[in-house]
Amino acid sequence: MKTKIIYSILIAMGAIALTFSIIYSSSILAFIGLGLTFWGIILAYIQTEEYVKRKLLDATTLAPLLTLNKVMQELQYEGKAVYLPPKYFKDQEENRVYIPKQKDGQIPTPEQIQEQENKLFIKNPNGLLLTPPGAELTKLFEKILETTFTRIDLRHLQQIMPKLFIEDLEIAQNLKIETKDNRILVEIKNSVYKNLNKEVMKLKNLYPSIGCPLVSAFACTLARATGKPIVIEKQQTREEGKVIEIEYRIVEEKTEQ
Amino acid sequence: MFPLDLWDASLILAITAMILLTLSIMFSPYYGKVNILINKKRLKNASLAFSALFLITVAIRIITIIFML
Repeated sequence: MKTKIIYSILIAMGAIALTFSIIYSSSILAFIGLGLTFWGIILAYIQTEEYVKRKLLDATTLAPLLTLNKVMQELQYEGKAVYLPPKYFKDQEENRVYIPKQKDGQIPTPEQIQEQENKLFIKNPNGLLLTPPGAELTKLFEKILETTFTRIDLRHLQQIMPKLFIEDLEIAQNLKIETKDNRILVEIKNSVYKNLNKEVMKLKNLYPSIGCPLVSAFACTLARATGKPIVIEKQQTREEGKVIEIEYRIVEEKTEQ
Repeated sequence: MFPLDLWDASLILAITAMILLTLSIMFSPYYGKVNILINKKRLKNASLAFSALFLITVAIRIITIIFML
């Protein structure tokens, strides 16, 4: 509202100064008028964006994660979460994570998942099929990039993701993606989720397996881009939580003989 | 009669473009200034538009000089 008043006054004063400059043939008034009008238009164009406070983001995101952690703990789902690629689902836009019941539980085949994809608890092999916390964030990435990650490869992803994180969404101050064989190392510096990540670290079941929404969103992105299941292998923080390092592993599926 | 000619307009465009370009670089997320609540993309676009307008006035000036020779 304040900005609206300021730019309206600037444009009005500019217009008055320009009118008087024509009447009195004064170049000084013309300069003042043009300057005021330009800055008025610029202020009107560069409006303040709608922002929410980081505290609000943390407060609204944490509750579902606490519930998810409790579910995993109470039902004793101890396996490592596997982010499944779109080929596992009938709907290619789907982002899901599979948590095996046993610690070394095997990954089901795409056919097994497709038969039970609308269920939360799946059988043979037993496990949980969840929508991960970062699923919607991945869809937002695709919407902003105006593409789908299924159409791009890992090398292209390495090029476009830093710009998306730093410039377009301003989620983080820096982002590095490195690949080593079947491992993908991601370093996120000063992300907006750093405080939330500190809280999520306390969740012993959820944190090492599914991760915070940002880590989860990146896992979904990698699963879509590589077309292969992704597992969060290791996560660590540096510089008082400012830098988050994540090691993802591309899971090689067993080919049927 | 408007008291300014193209050269004056060029001067004002150059000054505005310089200020806007400096601001857009200063507020760029790459330099960690993420706490300024303005639409940085639009600021960048405005600075580029003013720079382009200034360059157009320079081009017009150059063309005029060439034709006068």
